[in-house]
Order: sequence, then C-alpha cells, then structure tokens
Amino acid sequence: MNEEIRRIQAVMEREAYVTDRQVATSVFLASALGKPLLVEGHPGVGKTEIAKVLARSLGADLIRLQCYEGLDVTTALYEWNYPRQLLHIKLGESAPGSMAEKEASLFSDAFLLKRPLLAAITHTGRAPVLLIDEVDRSDEEFEAFLLEVLSDFQVTIPEMGTIRAEVRPTVVLTSNRTRELSEALRRRCLYLWIDYPSFEKELQIVRSKVPGLNERLAREVTGVLQSLRRMRLAKHPGVAESLDWAAALVALHADHLDAAVVRDTMGCFLKDDADFKVLERELEAGRLPALVSFAE
Amino acid sequence: MVHAPPAALSTPPTAELVAAVVRLGRLLRARGIAVTPAESIDAARALGCLDVGDREELRLALRAVMVSRREDYDSFDQAFHDVWTATSGLPPSVPLPGPRHDMVRPPVTAPSKPPSVSLQNWMKPGEVVEGEALTLRAASNEESLGARDVARYAADDEEAFRVLARQVARRLALRRSRRWKSERRGARLDLRRTVRASLRTGGDPIRLERRSRTLRRTQIVALCDVSGSMELYAQFLLQFLHALQNSFARVETFAFATRLSRVTPILRGARFRESLRELGREVQDFSGGTRIGASFATFLTCYPRLVDRRTIVIILSDGWDVGSPDVLADAMRTMRRRAGRVIWLNPLMGAADFAPDTRGMQAALPFIDLLAAGHNLEALGRLARHLAL
Repeated sequence: MNEEIRRIQAVMEREAYVTDRQVATSVFLASALGKPLLVEGHPGVGKTEIAKVLARSLGADLIRLQCYEGLDVTTALYEWNYPRQLLHIKLGESAPGSMAEKEASLFSDAFLLKRPLLAAITHTGRAPVLLIDEVDRSDEEFEAFLLEVLSDFQVTIPEMGTIRAEVRPTVVLTSNRTRELSEALRRRCLYLWIDYPSFEKELQIVRSKVPGLNERLAREVTGVLQSLRRMRLAKHPGVAESLDWAAALVALHADHLDAAVVRDTMGCFLKDDADFKVLERELEAGRLPALVSFAE
Repeated sequence: MVHAPPAALSTPPTAELVAAVVRLGRLLRARGIAVTPAESIDAARALGCLDVGDREELRLALRAVMVSRREDYDSFDQAFHDVWTATSGLPPSVPLPGPRHDMVRPPVTAPSKPPSVSLQNWMKPGEVVEGEALTLRAASNEESLGARDVARYAADDEEAFRVLARQVARRLALRRSRRWKSERRGARLDLRRTVRASLRTGGDPIRLERRSRTLRRTQIVALCDVSGSMELYAQFLLQFLHALQNSFARVETFAFATRLSRVTPILRGARFRESLRELGREVQDFSGGTRIGASFATFLTCYPRLVDRRTIVIILSDGWDVGSPDVLADAMRTMRRRAGRVIWLNPLMGAADFAPDTRGMQAALPFIDLLAAGHNLEALGRLARHLAL
C-alpha cells in the first residue's frame, strides 16, 4: 500500500472519521493528480464529512459553497459592496480626479465581497480545501460556470480583469443525485461512491461518535438501522440518523431497546409518515428482536 | 485536459503497466463505458504515484479515475479482473472483443407481420366500441372498465381535455426560474447596475435599475406508442397532447411502432377529429410489433437537440418490445441523462394485478422518474401535478 494512502487513512481515523481504503485512495489521488473529487451517495453517509476531515488532516482552510437552485455568480463568486460604494462616491464627490480614476478606485479590492469560489482562488499560503456541497441542487447554468472555474482556476471580473489562483485548491464536490450531473463535469472529476456502511463499520462509527453509549445499545441501534435499510421505505435513514438516535437514547438514559422506547424515539431516524406506519406494524407484530439481531 | 504533473509522481510506470491501462480503457469502451483518452492519461499518471504491487490499491485508484458513475462500478470491477487475472501479475495481451455490434444500430427493418390498419381505424374514433376495448392484451375486469373510460372519453369529450390541458399549460408556463434578469419593470432593484449608473450622476442613484426572475422554459416531448396493443390509449393520450399543444406551444409529439414519425405538425390542427383523420392518412406504415428501443434510438439520433434539462419526456407504451432489451436500456439511459424528467405512462398499470415485468419495462425501469397509469382523465389529472420541473 502506498505510504501516503496509509497516512491519510490513519489521519482520518484519528479525526474520528471511520474510513476505508476506497475513500483514502480517492482522497489521495485527488491531491496527487490535482483533480476535483466528486463524491456521490445516499444522504447521510458522510460525504460532506470527507472534505471537513481532509481539511483538518491537511491543516488547510475549508471553504464551503452550499449549492441551491438559483445559486448564481453574486453568491458563489463575488459581489460588489454597494452601500460602501455609494458612500464612497458621496464622500469623494467634491474631490479632484477624473471620472476614470474614481471608477477605478470604486472597483477595487476594498469594495469586493469575496464569495466562496473567489475566496478559494485568491487564497494564499497552503492550498485550501474547497467543498462544493450538493452540487446537484444547483442548476445547469451554474454547473457550466463551475466547469469553467474548475478547469483553470481563474475568473474574470469585468471591472478588475482576470484573477488566477496561485495555489490550486483541493476540490471536493458532493451530490445526492437528485438530478444527473452533466457528463462534462463528471469527466473532469475523480469519482467516489459511498455506500451505506457495513454493520461493523457503522457500529464503529456509532461507538466513536456517541460517548456514553453502552455496547449493547450500540449494537442494537446499528442492527435496527441496518435492517431498516433493507426494507422498503420512502426514505432510508443514513448514518447521521443512527448517530442522532443513539445520542437521543443516551439522553433518555435508555440502556436497551424495547418497543416503547423505539416508538418514542423513531422520529430520530424516520422522516416520513408512511415509514412510521411500516415500523409501527413491525413493532406490533413483535418483530423488534428480528430487527435488532440484524445479520448481514 | 492534462494538468501539470503533480509533485507526488515518483516512479515512472513501466511500459507494461501503461499498456495494461490502455487495454483496460479499450475494454471498458468496448463494454459501453465511455472512457476518454484524457481519463486514460490520468490513469497512467495515477500509476506513477501508486504502489503498483498492491492490486486492491490499483483497482480502487483506477476506478476512481476511469469511472464516473455508480452504475459502472460492477462493469469496471469485472473488466479490471479480466485484464489483470488473465495471467497472474502483469496483464498479457488479452484479445479484445471487437466493437460492440449493437453500437452501430442496424437499420430498422419492418417485421414480417402484416401491417395492421390500427391508425386507419382512428379516422372514425366515434366508432370505438366496448367490444374492441375487451380485446386489449391481458384485459382483466378492472382494466376493461378503464378501457371503456378511454373509449368513452376519446369519443368526443374535447372540452374535458381542453380544461385539463389548460390547467397543465398554466403550470408549465408560469414557473419562474430562480435566476434574475434585468428588466425595466422588474420587482426588485438591481443594485449592481444602479450603482454603476449612479457614477454618471455623481453618486446619486437617479435612475433605478430593476430586475426580475426569468421564466422557465419547460417543454414537453411525447413519444407515443401507436402499435396495435396500444391503439385506444394512444388515441386518448394524443387527444390530451393535442389539447396541450394548442394551449401551450412547446410540445413535440412523436408516434412510433416499428418506426418513428414526428406528428407535431399534424396535431396542430384546431379540431382533434380532423387531426386524427390526417394522422391516419399520413402515418401509413405502422405494423403489428413494436420496436421501442430502436425507435427511441432513432429519436435520440435524429433529434439530439430536442431533449435537454428543461424537457419533460412522456413515453406512452405498454413496454411490449420485440427488439433487444439492451437497445432499449441504452436509449433510456441516454434519455435519462439528457432530460429533466422521464415519465412513462403504462395504461396496463390501471389493472389491479399490474407488475412491470415485460422485458421492455424491466429494461427501462431504472431510468424512469415516474411510472404512472394515465389511462383515464382522472389519472391524467393526477399526472398533471408531476408535469413541472
């Protein structure tokens, strides 16, 4: 195994991110080849976490761009500070100087509000980690623009000219697959699919992330969640949900699962009314032990 | 696009390894996974910073570089296995399968069945009677009731269709996008432009620039199965599309059985009956069997610019495909990638014991956003909610 990959895996484990070779290898390649890493997977499997842990383990700054529909250049790249500009014009009204000079001073760094993408490009020192979260929620216009930025890490601001990145940020994109990303964007990226974790891995995550959880409860929680993911549900619970649930059980001082406790707390991991009914039926039929004793 | 060589590149990969990666790329391409030369180059670069003696590491790394979607993981693992285990250690020259033959699609030939006269029948829609409805494939009790619904509506209830179509059209036309454009009477101030303009007036924003949301251009492409088994339903959906097209301009309609034809201009007529009559005259060469996959492939090749993210594709078919399911799956995959939404209407779903288990349906299922019945006006009304992006 490559030493660097081993090191990344160790660092991630130290940061309490339970990982595997696949994740470590992809992360390593992203920085070694200087290509963005596209991470896909079900909600709540820890996609965003990869970027955060990566930044911590590299000792780099994390710059995050949360995508949403209608995200545009003014929120992703830059915006001029209008109130300040107006004030500046008022104050400089009687000052000498030509129109061109005034305009130049108005559109300078001092009035520029850097949004995440520009912040990543103009970052100096150690290369930052740029997290472009839930890129599937942005629209195609933005995706096309992103493609441009990711290919040469330079942007042009009409009033200022072209700005080129001195250090290339390490880019991580995540997608929940609410829509298909363009082929061009996929091609530009390394690809990583994260599946739901295995029982053992999830147990490890629950143990390490929820302090004060006894071993029996940790196993039971993991078992139920693993069983639920194999059932037909409207929305399958992710790892984030197991952690929420485990934390809630700790807060309630539960030391094992019974039907009543599950009933009281199932809002932690089921988010759909129809799914409530499915689980309720299982509980009524006395199938909780079967859910708990999950077997791969 | 080749990036600058990374610092981590330590040892140059051996020629054998590079050759193996190239071979892997070719094998993947032959199996339908588009690996570009740029990705092969990246893969070769990746070799330089890997422990190439570790096969698992090699597999994971090459997969990250060469594959770009989850669905291709299994094919990749298989191909990797094929290239790397043909002999232990370094891969030898594996004889490659030739280019996949079905990638060059053979011209669609008419099947041997004698052409039916289904569309000609449409010239007299009023004469569709219950007896015909009962001849529908796998007609159960409920289903024939549904079919009767269709027959009754299709007879001449143009007004009902027009009302529904108008509702849908309004939804489609009035969707506002989240994007802004500058507009003189826009609802919000465009500060950027206002500040820019105020420079000319000494900083006093005399002229206020405004902006508003752009309108979304949603369009509909309908692919309508008009083979014998679908006759009644196709007529029903066509009537809906006709109404829709006449209250909302961006509808493109295609009819297919063994061949594909664009029927948009025909449906532009004012009255559905006349359009239908013309359709029967124009589209003469429909036959018994349905070549869904081949028809879709033709559609994608001949009208590549028609489907984009702003497009809702509606397919009406029962999924009885006489062609290869692979061809259909390929076409559907492409369609899914290009379209904003893919809706499949299968009138057989109206039956209580429906399961999408025809080969064609099975092949298409992974690439469908919504599978619905749409076998009567009520079902279409429910569908209308999904006709928005």
